[in-house]
Amino acid sequence: MATEVTPEADETALVDTPDEHGHHAQPHTPSTAGWAGRGVVVLLISWLVLLFPLSRDVSDLRLYGLAVIYAIIGLSLNVLLGYTGQISLGHQAFVGIGAFASAYMVSVQGQPFFVAVLVSMVIGALQALVLGAISLRVRGLYFALITLSYGIMAEGTLFNIEKYTGGSAGQAAPLPEPFETPHKFYYLCLLFLAAVVWVDWRLMKTKGGRALLALRENPRVAATLGIDVKLYTLVAFVVSGVFAGLGGALFAHNSEIVVSNTYEFRLALVFVIMTTVGGLRSRTGVIVGSAFFALLGYLIEHEYTFPLVGWHLNIESLLAKLPGPDLTAELAPLVLGPLLLLITLIQYPGGIGQQLRPLTGWLRGNRFDIHDRGDKEVVVADVRA
Amino acid sequence: MTDRLRTALIGGGVALVVVVLLFIFGLQRALIFGLVGGATYSLVALGLVLVYKSSGVFNFAQGEFGTVAVFALFLLTTNDVPYGLAIIGALVVAAVMGLLTERLVVRPLFDAPRVTLLVASAGVSLLAIGVEIWFGEAKLRNVDKALPRQGRFKIFNASISDQELLLIFTLIVLGVLLALFFNRTNLGLAILGASQEPVATELVGISVRRLSSFTWAIAALLGGLAGVLTIPIANSFGPGALTAGVLIPSFTAAVVGGMTSLPGAFLGGIIVGVVQSVAVTADFLEDVPGQSSLSVFVVLVIVLTIRPQGLLGKSA
Repeated sequence: MATEVTPEADETALVDTPDEHGHHAQPHTPSTAGWAGRGVVVLLISWLVLLFPLSRDVSDLRLYGLAVIYAIIGLSLNVLLGYTGQISLGHQAFVGIGAFASAYMVSVQGQPFFVAVLVSMVIGALQALVLGAISLRVRGLYFALITLSYGIMAEGTLFNIEKYTGGSAGQAAPLPEPFETPHKFYYLCLLFLAAVVWVDWRLMKTKGGRALLALRENPRVAATLGIDVKLYTLVAFVVSGVFAGLGGALFAHNSEIVVSNTYEFRLALVFVIMTTVGGLRSRTGVIVGSAFFALLGYLIEHEYTFPLVGWHLNIESLLAKLPGPDLTAELAPLVLGPLLLLITLIQYPGGIGQQLRPLTGWLRGNRFDIHDRGDKEVVVADVRA
Repeated sequence: MTDRLRTALIGGGVALVVVVLLFIFGLQRALIFGLVGGATYSLVALGLVLVYKSSGVFNFAQGEFGTVAVFALFLLTTNDVPYGLAIIGALVVAAVMGLLTERLVVRPLFDAPRVTLLVASAGVSLLAIGVEIWFGEAKLRNVDKALPRQGRFKIFNASISDQELLLIFTLIVLGVLLALFFNRTNLGLAILGASQEPVATELVGISVRRLSSFTWAIAALLGGLAGVLTIPIANSFGPGALTAGVLIPSFTAAVVGGMTSLPGAFLGGIIVGVVQSVAVTADFLEDVPGQSSLSVFVVLVIVLTIRPQGLLGKSA
C-alpha cells in the first residue's frame, strides 16, 4: 500500500499522469463536511439502484433488469472496442447464443441455472476464440466484417435450428429457483454486474491488461517491446465473449423466454452506440450509457410529475411538437441513438464517462473540478488499423 | 508477372471446373441468377473499394447512399417527373449525401483511428435508416423500372429482363472507366498517392481534403447508381433496403477481391452471387435454414483463412 502513489481504482484512464493543473500532485483530503457531502451522494445513488426498484411493479423491474444486463454487455463490448480498438458488429449473436444455450440447458437438459450460465460463458469464449483466430490473420478491421457476417448468419441459421432453439416459438427460460421473482432476479443481475466490473478492473491491472493498454496506444511499438499483439487481442476477444455469454444467459431468464427475433442485427448496433456514447474505457460511463439506452423508450414515454410545483413532463409530447411525423417513443431511439453516436464521436469522444468525470473524481476524494476531463484525453481507440 | 499469370490460370481453371460441376448437377439456372445478383454486389463493392483504397475506411454507409437515392427516385417519379430526370435527381441526392457525410463526419475525424471512422459510417447509415423510418414508416413501396420489358431472352430457363441487362452493362462500363481513371489520370493517381502518403501528397501541392470530398462524392454516386438500378428489379423496397440484404455480401465480395482491387470487386461480386444463388437453390442444402447468409459467411471465412489478401489484392 505504501508504495502506491497513483490514485487507485481510476476508472477513465488506467495509466495515470499528473494533470496539468497540478491539483492532484498532492492528495487532497476533504474535510468532515466534505466527506458527509460525498456520503449523501453515494447514499442517493445506492437508494436509486438498490431501494427505489423495490417500490416499482414487475414490468418495470424487468426493464431495470434489462438495463443492468445491457451494462454487462456494454462492458463486454468495451473490452473489445475500448481496450483493443477492434469492433464487433455481431454482438447480438454472442448474446443470443448465450441466451439460447442457457435456456436449452435449463429447459431441455434440466440443469441448474448456474451450470447453464457457466455453459453460456464457455460457448461465448469459444465463439470469440474461433472468430478471432480467423480474423486476426489479417491486419485491419476484418474482425468487424467477420462478426457482422457471423451475426447475420446466426440470425438466419443458428437461431433456427429447432432442436436447440425451439424454432420460431422460442424456448422457455424460467427465472431460476432462489430468484424466482423479477425483483430478486434484478438483484442477482446487479451481483453479476458487480462481478464483471471487478473482473474487468482486476484484469486491466495484470501484465496482460497493461500489455493491452500498450498495444492500444501503438501496436507497432508494443510489438517491438516483445508484446504478442495478436495473442493479447485474442485474449481480450475471449474475455469479451465470456461477458457477452453471461449477458445473454441473464437476458434469457430476465424475459423468461428466448425468441430468435429478439436478437436482431439492430440490437448489435444499439450495443455499439450505447458503449461508445457511454464512453470507451470508462466503466462508469459504459454502465450509465448502457442503462440509458436500455431505458430510452421508457424514459421518453414516461409521465414525470413534480409533486411540489405540480408540473407534468412527458418527453414524447414534447417530441411531437417537432416538424414532420410524430417521433414516438418507439421511433425516437432510432433517430436519437445514431445522432448521439455521431455527436459523441465528433465532439465528445470521451462520452458520458468523460462528462461525469468531475463528479466521479469528487466522489473519490478529489476537489470538485468542473474542468476535470480525466487524466488523459480519451479517444475511441488509438489503434491505427 | 509470371506469378500473376499462374494465379490467373489457376483461377480460370477453378472457375471452369465450377461451371462444369454446376452443369453436371443441373444448377445452370442458379449460375445465371447468381451472375445477375452478383452484379448488384459488384456495383456496391466498387464503391466500398473506392473508399477503402483512398482512405482505408470500411464504409458502412455505402448501402444507405443507394437507399436514399431510391427514396428520392420514388418521390420524384410519383410526382410525375420524367424517369430520366428522376434518375439524375436521385443520383444528385446521393452525391450530396456523400459530400455531406464527408464534410460533417469524415473530415472532423480525419486524424482519428480507422475504427472510429468505421463506427461513424455505421452511425451515418443508422441515422439515414432512422430518418427513413421516421418520415416513410417501416413499410414496403414499389418503384418503377427504367426499362419495363421482362424476359427479353432466356438462358438455361432463366429469363433476363431489360433492367438486369442495363445493370450488367452499367457495371462493365463503370468497371472499365474506374480502372482507366485510377491508372491513367492525374486525379486518380493523386487519390492513390493521398491514401498512401497524405503528407507527401500535400507537400507536392495536392489538396488531400478536396480529394477526400471528391472520392466520397463518387462513392456515393456509385452507391446511388446501385440503388436506382437494382432496387427496381426486386420491385419493392423499405427503409434500409440496401443495408439489410446487400451490404454484407458486397463487403464479402470486396474482401474476396482483395479490398483494394477494382477488378477484384467485380470478380468477388460474381463469386458471392453465384455461391449464394447455388446455396439457395441446391437440393442438398434444402433443410438448412438461412442458406443465403450462411453461404456468404462461409465464403468470408474461407477467404480469410486461405487467402486473406483476397484474389487480386496485394499481400497483407
